[in-house]
Amino acid sequence: VYSFGAATRRLAVALVWLSVSIGARADPKADLLATTDLTLLPPEKLLEIDVYSPSKRPEKLSETAAAITVLTRDDIARSGATSIPEALRLVPGLDVAQVDAEQWAISARGFNDIFANKLLVLQDGRSLYTPLFSGVFWNVQDTFMEDIERIEVIRGPGASLWGANAVNGVINITTKTARDTQGLLLTGGGGTLERAFGGFRYGDQLGDDLYFRVYGKYFDREDSVFPNGNEADDAWQKGQGGFRLDWDKTETSGNLLTLQGDIYHSIGNQTFNTFAPNNPPFYSETIHQDNYRTTGGNVLARFTHSFSDPSEAADERSDLQLQFYYDRSEQDSVIFKEQRDTFDFDFQNKFAIGWWNHIVWGAGYRSSADKIGNTPTVAFYPERQTTELFNAFAQDEITILPQRLRLTVGAKAEHNDYTGGEFQPSARMLWTPTGRQTIWGAVSRAVRTPSRAEEGIVLNQPLAPAVVSIYGNQDFQAEELLAYELGYRLEARKNITLDLTLFYNVYHDLRSQEIGFSPTQPIVAPPPPPPFPPQWVPTYLANGLGGDTYGLEFAPAWQVTDWWRLQPAYSLLKMQLHAEPGSSDTTTAAFLQGSSPQQQFSLRSLMDLPHQVTFDWTLRYVDQLPAFNIHSYFALDVRVGWHPAHDLELALVGQNLLNAHHAEFAPTFIGTQRTDVPASFYGQLTWNFGGKP
Amino acid sequence: MRQRMISRAIAIVLVVLVVIWSSVAARGQEASEYQVEAAFLYHFAKFVAWPAEAFPEENSPITIGILGEDPFGDALETTVHNKSIDKHPFRIVHLDMKSLAEAKRCQILFICPSEKRRLADVLETLKESSVLTVSSKIERFTQAGGMINFFIEDKKVRFEINDEHARRVGLKISAKLLNLSRHKETP
Repeated sequence: VYSFGAATRRLAVALVWLSVSIGARADPKADLLATTDLTLLPPEKLLEIDVYSPSKRPEKLSETAAAITVLTRDDIARSGATSIPEALRLVPGLDVAQVDAEQWAISARGFNDIFANKLLVLQDGRSLYTPLFSGVFWNVQDTFMEDIERIEVIRGPGASLWGANAVNGVINITTKTARDTQGLLLTGGGGTLERAFGGFRYGDQLGDDLYFRVYGKYFDREDSVFPNGNEADDAWQKGQGGFRLDWDKTETSGNLLTLQGDIYHSIGNQTFNTFAPNNPPFYSETIHQDNYRTTGGNVLARFTHSFSDPSEAADERSDLQLQFYYDRSEQDSVIFKEQRDTFDFDFQNKFAIGWWNHIVWGAGYRSSADKIGNTPTVAFYPERQTTELFNAFAQDEITILPQRLRLTVGAKAEHNDYTGGEFQPSARMLWTPTGRQTIWGAVSRAVRTPSRAEEGIVLNQPLAPAVVSIYGNQDFQAEELLAYELGYRLEARKNITLDLTLFYNVYHDLRSQEIGFSPTQPIVAPPPPPPFPPQWVPTYLANGLGGDTYGLEFAPAWQVTDWWRLQPAYSLLKMQLHAEPGSSDTTTAAFLQGSSPQQQFSLRSLMDLPHQVTFDWTLRYVDQLPAFNIHSYFALDVRVGWHPAHDLELALVGQNLLNAHHAEFAPTFIGTQRTDVPASFYGQLTWNFGGKP
Repeated sequence: MRQRMISRAIAIVLVVLVVIWSSVAARGQEASEYQVEAAFLYHFAKFVAWPAEAFPEENSPITIGILGEDPFGDALETTVHNKSIDKHPFRIVHLDMKSLAEAKRCQILFICPSEKRRLADVLETLKESSVLTVSSKIERFTQAGGMINFFIEDKKVRFEINDEHARRVGLKISAKLLNLSRHKETP
């Protein structure tokens, strides 16, 4: 007894104090309600009680035969995310890695890369992926974060509805209607990495059913850091503005007309390791650029006519939708210049045949015209190209047993300029044996059609002492996936839900990098300067890889009390890829296996505290990436929000805490610098007046 | 070094959690939406008069039917447990579209938001029955033939009543409830 040190004694006292205080206040709400029989209150008093709606996933979600996660505006706001990629970190099973201050690598179920190409990303019906490499330039995908209504993420193929490239997942970003964003909202703040940011949105009513909003935003992001902690000099700034106009006659005539658009410009610093044909012995030159620019904009018009009662849920209505958009993007760096104009036209019709058939079908056309500014490092041939894409799809959701068993069959047929026709069918079965359980299974075929890069790129990578050249291949075929999925959802108790998905994916014709000269692409550039390094390794792209991947995604949620919610998530991914016989590619399979984390774990806590304070944090664990020699890491994001008045919010956010800095990914193909993500803090003030909360 | 930072961070998080937890004082008068709606269902039973044949025996139960995916959890059971009105105890039954016919024998039918697609069928089935039809957050419920619809306004539970539909099947809703009801502002 006497051997108790002072420290141990203090610890014991502290523990007793903690248990008492926890015991006394374990669940204040439960106390309140246990002692208050609400029926004792007269009805007029009941009308005065403030209520909260139990946080529950939207009903339709549990009825989806796919691995779906929906981030709501509230989820995003309370994460402290200042960009769409940061918000996507909240999605279980999604692999989100920051490469440097500006670049991100995002994928689902493997194959992550800055140039990841198996994810389809849409914002308000507009495709965000570029036909240049079938991926997404995440740095230019942005909107006024407060205007995001929801982000739906489907892991696994969604091709039968969404089309090619929805191979391993679909991300669908939806912004609020103009009617839901009335009034003035001002926000601004700053910190260590988010040096300064600010934005406004103003919405008003122009006529009986005519609403609009405009927004503008700006941010200045600080450098990321080198592994030794020094600044990497890749800071950048971006300004963006936009509008949305909704002429909503849904109630009276069933018609809704939406016009919206955005325009942006960014400028930043970037350092490139370029191919310098006249600079022996390594033919490389490091160029620091302080005016790396991106510019772009888009306009979209959508007309929807609803045939049925507007009180029905959106996906139960029969309606007809016509959509057109134009998108322009430009980028200008020392190694690559691109201008792209995309026109897209879509038609979609939903209707029911009896109560058991819900059919959606549609067709679309897209043309994308580009003009590339070639450099010795990156070149595309031909320098100008216009590609066209036609598609038609149909899906029928068949109710076999009402409220119990549902079958969804669908297919999308597409015609692209590279491989001609592609057919992508899927069948999904949803069984809800009880109101609290859902079991679903799906079999789908999806393809990733060739991009501009695979057909006509010439990429020279100075990897001292060698120079590796990658040539495109006009015979490049679509990559193919056959996916088998099984999911289970359970509302174990009213405050506990479980969501488990198992998947098994079989891939054929994955992209490989073969040694030698392209069978179709003439070796046009650049003229090898004498003496060209003997370590010159010409390679070309082909479909020499195959294999399978399997894994699981587990995302339970626990509403501990009505003011505290815990959301753990775990995902496992195993990749078994190999080079097919005849392929000379000995490295890509191992590289792909080593560039996506095998395991990811996260724990998210959301607390509503007294005095209008919210306290939320997310702890993330991401497994190692052997392909880049990147270690596994833990990171913690913390946010404290305070509403001193109902139209005012103050927030303090810490991001990527626990380490001074850590690596998440590394550049591929293009020689930018390897950098780490530093821990950072920022404060934000948001003033929302005149509008809905 | 790294391990130490992690454990230190976890310790900090734990301490912060505990401090916040222990400083949580009882919050304002706040309850779950469905707890309040459950209490209202109790009051509806009290402030609505059914035709005499609804209660053949002196102690016939007041049956509350829940049609569809029950949003109440335990709230409704807890609320009416061991309670009775004029000697009529409460009874709760869960129904789905297949057992819809049974709804005619209920005194109150709560139509869950999950059933809004089938609302027309439900109301058609009950057209002639003295059943108080109640729903939560189903748009145009009271126009479509329903009697009472809950909705949320300024974080508070409100309800709208279509008295005409109730009178048509012989239900008398007390003036007190009618006075407390609101019209939902269609935005």
